[in-house]
Amino acid sequence: MKFKTRLYVGFGLIIVLCIILVSMMMSMLNQLNHNLNRVVQERYEKVRLVNIIYQELNSISRDSRGLLANPPSELLAVFEENITQNNASLKKALEDLRGLENEGKTRELIQKLRGFGDIYQNNQYKIEALREDGKEEEASRMYWYESREIRERMFELIDELKKTEEQAMMDELDQSRNDYELAVKMTYIYVVLGVVLGIGVTIWVVRSLTGSLNRITSVMTEVADYETDKLPRLQVNAEDEIGAISSAYNHMAKALEDHIHKVKEFSDTAENQSWLKTQVAEMATMYAGIESLQELANLFITKVTPMVGASYGVFYGKEGIGGAARLRKLAAYADNDIDFGEEFRLGEGLVGQCALEKRDISLTQIPDDYIKISSGIGLASPKMILLLPADFEGEVLAVVELASFTEFSSLQEMLLDEVMSSLGITINSIISRMQVEKLLQESQALTEELQSQSEELQLQQEELRTINEKLEEQYENSEQKTAELEKTRLILEEKAQQLAISSQYKSEFLANMSHELRTPLNSLLILAQMLAENNEKNLMPKQVEYANTIHSAGNDLLHLINDILDLAKVESGNDEVNPEEVTLHTVKTLVEKQFMPVARQKGLQFTVELTADLPKMIWTDERRLQQILKNLLSNAFKFTEKGSVSLHIGIAKEKIAAIQDDMIITFSVMDTGIGVSKENQEIIFEEFKQADGTTSRKYGGTGLGLSISRKIAELLGGHIGIESEEGMGSTFTLYLPGRQAEAVSAEKEVAASVDYNEEAVQSIPQVGPAEALLVGKKILIVDDDMRNIFALTTAIEGHHMKVVFAENGREAIEVLMSNPDIDLILMDIMMPEMDGFEAMRIIRQNPEYQTLPIIALTAKAMKHDREQCIEAGASDYISKPVNLEQLFSLMRVWLYR
Amino acid sequence: MADIKTQEHLELEKIEMTLLLEAIYRYYGFDFRNYAEPFLQRRVWHRIRAEKVRSISGLQEKILHEPGAMKRLLDDLSINVTEMFRDPSFFLAFRTKIIPLLKEFSSIRIWHVGCSSGEEVYSMAILLKEEGLYEKTKIYATDMNEKMVDLAKQGIFPLDRMQMYTKNYLQAGGKRAFSEYYTATVENVIFQPYLRENIVFAQHNLVTDHSFNDFHVIICRNVMIYFNKLLQDHVHSLLYESLVLSGFLGLGNREGVKYTSHANYYQEFDCTEKIYRKIK
Repeated sequence: MKFKTRLYVGFGLIIVLCIILVSMMMSMLNQLNHNLNRVVQERYEKVRLVNIIYQELNSISRDSRGLLANPPSELLAVFEENITQNNASLKKALEDLRGLENEGKTRELIQKLRGFGDIYQNNQYKIEALREDGKEEEASRMYWYESREIRERMFELIDELKKTEEQAMMDELDQSRNDYELAVKMTYIYVVLGVVLGIGVTIWVVRSLTGSLNRITSVMTEVADYETDKLPRLQVNAEDEIGAISSAYNHMAKALEDHIHKVKEFSDTAENQSWLKTQVAEMATMYAGIESLQELANLFITKVTPMVGASYGVFYGKEGIGGAARLRKLAAYADNDIDFGEEFRLGEGLVGQCALEKRDISLTQIPDDYIKISSGIGLASPKMILLLPADFEGEVLAVVELASFTEFSSLQEMLLDEVMSSLGITINSIISRMQVEKLLQESQALTEELQSQSEELQLQQEELRTINEKLEEQYENSEQKTAELEKTRLILEEKAQQLAISSQYKSEFLANMSHELRTPLNSLLILAQMLAENNEKNLMPKQVEYANTIHSAGNDLLHLINDILDLAKVESGNDEVNPEEVTLHTVKTLVEKQFMPVARQKGLQFTVELTADLPKMIWTDERRLQQILKNLLSNAFKFTEKGSVSLHIGIAKEKIAAIQDDMIITFSVMDTGIGVSKENQEIIFEEFKQADGTTSRKYGGTGLGLSISRKIAELLGGHIGIESEEGMGSTFTLYLPGRQAEAVSAEKEVAASVDYNEEAVQSIPQVGPAEALLVGKKILIVDDDMRNIFALTTAIEGHHMKVVFAENGREAIEVLMSNPDIDLILMDIMMPEMDGFEAMRIIRQNPEYQTLPIIALTAKAMKHDREQCIEAGASDYISKPVNLEQLFSLMRVWLYR
Repeated sequence: MADIKTQEHLELEKIEMTLLLEAIYRYYGFDFRNYAEPFLQRRVWHRIRAEKVRSISGLQEKILHEPGAMKRLLDDLSINVTEMFRDPSFFLAFRTKIIPLLKEFSSIRIWHVGCSSGEEVYSMAILLKEEGLYEKTKIYATDMNEKMVDLAKQGIFPLDRMQMYTKNYLQAGGKRAFSEYYTATVENVIFQPYLRENIVFAQHNLVTDHSFNDFHVIICRNVMIYFNKLLQDHVHSLLYESLVLSGFLGLGNREGVKYTSHANYYQEFDCTEKIYRKIK
């Protein structure tokens, strides 16, 4: 039976039971109700009607009695009326009583009652009629006898009826009580029956349902415990829902089984894949540290052979290219000595063939004597041999040969495929890595080579320098030897030297003497002139001539003395040069002014010309220049009787060896005088010499002019030359440097002073010649503390250096600007106005002083200060208080050139 | 034809060179057989020209019979290029990176290989002095050239390079005044004797001599550039043996351990200054 049916039946039964129960109880209640209704309606109606009849009878009787008692007439009508009414209601009650359902005795009684009723009424009417007829007696009689009798009978009937009915009611009530009790009992019975039936039905339904469900549940529960892919099934017994569930479950179980199967398959594959991947990854990580093909081959074969269950393996790597390509055995697993080849050409043997074809070769039918895999306890032939190529971009780079006792599983083959494909890439990358490495190594070697070459070069440079120094040394040695020779020569010519000294003494003496001489001479000249003027006119013309002679001779003497003084000054080196800007045009004007009168006096033509390309100004000592020009022109006028004298100022077209300058200014004095013979051209520049001794009287003069001029010209960095032919006139040319006149002269001066100093130094034995490094150097000391300056100055001057000083940075810069020859600066840091840092920065901004050594004087243990010093441009630093030895060490280092 | 001749000629020169080096080794005990070939070529030919002989064989004869010539060749083959605080950045790196690590040791041993005339050794001494480590340090300064070792012992250097040295000193992070460490004379500067109190100068030949101690720091700058690969590896193994674990190896700025036999034993400590640290 179906579940649904069972449920319908079960619940239906219960509902039907309920309906039956309810309807039975309803019918019983109806019965009870019915009984009660009968009691109430019929019995009660009958009793009521009987009572009405009783009353009406009474009323009729009473009224009839009233009528018979001769009542007042007015009341008569009321009595009559009442009697009529009572009769009607009596009649009606009787009729009603009859109309009710009656049975047995009741009917009989009612029948009798009616009968008597009718009779009573008839009697009434007869009484009425008799009364009206006035037969009152009769009426009374009749009333009292007949009617009363009937009435009495009727009362008896009514009582009997009443009793009967009451009895019937009592019976009915009893009946009802019995019915009720029965109904209650019946109800109990029905309810119990219903409950029992309901329980029964329920139990049946529930049991039949749970039973099948439990069976299913137990089977389903079992499923969880089943571990295999076979699941328990349900028996399909009926066509009911359980059957449907069972078959659905069976479907599901089957589906589950399929699923499990698939999952298992899938996980197997995944496991294989993961194993594969793990192996491949392991191989890949293994490749990471490999640096050579050999290493790779070893690792690969020892790893892969056991991995795929093979017992023997060889790795052949390709070497060479093209026709020379060979597959060489690089590594082996379980190697034995009876191998065939260490090397194969492409296509040679299976190994070569494999490489040539670029595909796997597998051998399964292996003859017994093909190869034996051996262990300590025996040897056996493999069952399968596999040759695999490893290629990269179509080129086989290696071949791997494996032999195994078992056939390779598909998984192992897959692994081999994977491994071989990555092997090609790896080999390629290792080869390129090796190449890169080789190149890098080569480059490293080249770098090192470069370094060694550079060091060698440095060394050679050093050697060259050493050689240079040696040469210098040799040169110095030879110098020294020359000096020694010189010394010998000096000793030999001691007298001459003494003479020279005496000559210098003479010059000095002369210089002094000339000065001493000039004073009285001047008095002499003035007095002679006064005499010659003869203001008092007391002298004879002869005497005036004498005085004139005295004056002119004195004048000559004065000139001579002046010349001697000049010469002496120049020779003793006391003469100073004061270069300044000299306008050439001024030179011209001055010369013209001075010599035009002379020219006119002597009747000579005199011209001064300047070429157009001349600079406007030159840098020289104007007084000296004029002195030379004056000398040269005086000479020209002196030795020219007729013709012309000219001064030509221009630029030299050729270089003069004596002057190192780009531009040379020439001052050429040309005359048409007597000229100078070739042999005399040098003599005339010597002191006290004239071209011709005999003519000296004729032309007069001291003969000092030219020698003084030449010396002065040299002092100015120039030179005097002569071009002349005897009798044809002469040209004296003064060459002066155009631009760097000053520098040259300064250099000369410095050179002179150094020379002087060296001479002086030689006389001080404890200071060696090499102190030349320090001697004569100009040091600028910048310090705001005068005591420091004094202390440093004393020490520095003790080493024959010159010192200039400044009391702050600003002053230092000014001093440096006006003393460009400063060699080294000692710079204090903490100073008012401008501190050392700023001063150094400003000095370094000038490109000229980029390399000028500046030594900063810093406070001790002020690292920050020192760093700042170097940043500001100091070359080095020394901490205060200054250690003099350290200071001179530093100065030696930084003055080294 | 010419090519073949040159080829033959080269071959011959190679043989001559091998013979010369072998002869020097056998007779004088100096082993130049594994020096870098181009270097040998240049130096030997330099000597050939200077000695006015015509071939390597000619030089060989002279060298074997005139010890003076050997001395000169020896000088040619020992390149003594150095300066104080050479590559200041190296010394700066040493000062800033290695010194803090050395401070932990109770005593420090430094080997200065190929010290030449000693400028760098004195530089190291000054650096250690300034860092307060000099008192517990012993510097072993060695060179194969005895002349150089003697020179280095004196600590007298030419005046002319002092300006550059001062600059180097400052760039190398000098903390005091460089002039505190020397006294200048006319041509030279004499470094303060206290700087060499803890320096041991000795002759040592990397090719033939063995390790003589273990060191915390080995400075071997621009020494191996004259060697061929074989000798470089040999020297590296010698240095490796002489270095304590976690010790430092300082090489020249063109050198490196990368392609040598001992590349794996070192970790780059400062790759620009070529300072390596022994890690195993």
